Amino acid sequence: MQLLNILLDASATSNASNYFPIGLQLFFAIGFVVTMMFVTHFLGPKRKTADKLENFASGIETHGDARQPMAIKYFLVAILFVLFDVEVIFFYPYAVNFRSLGWEGFGAVLMFVAFFLAGFIYIIKKGALTWED
Amino acid sequence: MNAIILSAILGVIMMFSGIWVNNKATLRWIALAGLLVLLISNIAEMYGYRIWNVNVHNMLYFDRFGLLFNSVAIGSTFIFVALSGSDINRVGKYAAEYYTLIFFVLTGITIISVYTSLLMLFLGIEIMSIPLYILTGSDKRNLKSNEASLKYFLMGAFSTGLMLMGITLIYGATGSFSIEVLNNPAIAQGVSFLEITGMLFLLVSMAFKVSAAPFHFWTPDVYDGAPGVFTSFMATVVKAAAFIAFVKLFDARMSYSSAVVDWKMLLCILIIATLLIGNITAVFQQSVKRMLAYSSIAQAGFMLFAVFSMNEMAKEGIIFYAVSYSLATIGVFAVLLKMKDFTFEGYNGLAKSQPVLAFANTVFLLSLAGIPLTAGFFAKYFMLASVIQTGHYLWMVIVAVLFAAVSVYYYFRVIQAMYFKTGEGETENIHPGFKTGLIILTVIIILLGVAPNLIINFLYF
Repeated sequence: MQLLNILLDASATSNASNYFPIGLQLFFAIGFVVTMMFVTHFLGPKRKTADKLENFASGIETHGDARQPMAIKYFLVAILFVLFDVEVIFFYPYAVNFRSLGWEGFGAVLMFVAFFLAGFIYIIKKGALTWED
Repeated sequence: MNAIILSAILGVIMMFSGIWVNNKATLRWIALAGLLVLLISNIAEMYGYRIWNVNVHNMLYFDRFGLLFNSVAIGSTFIFVALSGSDINRVGKYAAEYYTLIFFVLTGITIISVYTSLLMLFLGIEIMSIPLYILTGSDKRNLKSNEASLKYFLMGAFSTGLMLMGITLIYGATGSFSIEVLNNPAIAQGVSFLEITGMLFLLVSMAFKVSAAPFHFWTPDVYDGAPGVFTSFMATVVKAAAFIAFVKLFDARMSYSSAVVDWKMLLCILIIATLLIGNITAVFQQSVKRMLAYSSIAQAGFMLFAVFSMNEMAKEGIIFYAVSYSLATIGVFAVLLKMKDFTFEGYNGLAKSQPVLAFANTVFLLSLAGIPLTAGFFAKYFMLASVIQTGHYLWMVIVAVLFAAVSVYYYFRVIQAMYFKTGEGETENIHPGFKTGLIILTVIIILLGVAPNLIINFLYF
């Protein structure tokens, strides 16, 4: 009950001393993490084998190096997908508020779609989506 | 409103003209025509003609101050493209995209000069910065350009994060994004701990954007690594725009004294540090490009005086400073880009080989140093006079004058190299049109140095 009172007081004023519980929590959080890391490192048993020191790759054996040249097309398609995917999300709030936004909202969304389409035509014309060279 | 919408549309037009037009020179003419249309539409808005009537829900307010700055920014960009357009075309394959990005930067600039809501400030700063990250790295084969771009992006993202955090705290304290609420005297005098912390965050992130010390560390590397043309654009138009946002944001903080935070003293420290670091480090540079990066930090120190004193004279002064600094720096960079060697030695004997370039460059450098009869003199005069008008802080003026004297040293080193040292002064091929452009720019700078009211009168009519 005492603790609850402290928390209630903290929200009532913005005095710096009322941030004491937060400071206390921060102290305990960091202290806990540091102690646990320290304890596991020094008390835990250590058995190092070659298999254990391998990079973990979902249990599949690793083949070669990840730093290989990769066709930029994959990257381009992926980034364009993310871009257009995120833009489409903006239709959802508009669909929900379709009636209340009226013609003004319709105009705004139309403008958004126009810019959106302009970008789409641009990337097609630039050949960003042609897969074969 | 005209400029915001038109610049976005022109950006898209520019983007598509890159597909259908292959000739880079033609692209440059299209960009120039677009900028001219933008400039005319913005001037028309100053006289009350609006093409679109958009309900902005009080998030933007188109006052004379903001619109005049828009005109200045668009006009400077026009001069920049006219003078250095051929250098933009030389950067890489994608000339149309570079112009597109410049138009999008202008969209951001036209938003942050008229914002009244912190959300719009954030949006404007982002629209302005993101194309710049790309322009910085546009010299794709050059490692230094890549490095500069990545550095600029990471640091910029970090400072934007701080700005968002600040806006959040301010919203938590006042329940509003509006700068009218923020500039309310009762709130400006420091009511809550949260609000003050928020304003401090905003101060840090704005100081970062204008590259004031001690938040200037990105500037030399980015300005040095980026392709020279885009450095010229970044150091002039963009930096001045960030100052306009700064001035609007801290209006009330400087006018009313707060019981909790001495905002004036904070600004004092910022200014002195910026002047000190900018000027002293510029003295030791060997490359003119890097020297100009530090000089832009030093000039930012002077522009900060407008934020510091925050009276009528300061607001007139910041616009005038923006004009004179932008024009002179664009000129200096335009000449620099024609040089084969960017070090001070590269300028040796330029007066013999290219007398017109050397003369124009001298005028630009004199203007940056603030010598009378050039625009730079009145710019510095307005800044210092505005501090004197506040009635206190006379020592700041004395310190500033001392640092201005230091700046004379490194600006005059270039003049000395051009006129009094022997050398080849090798340049690229100089087009006669470029010389004409430089002469026109020189005339404008001297004209403004004789009659500064030509610009300032636009604030009142």
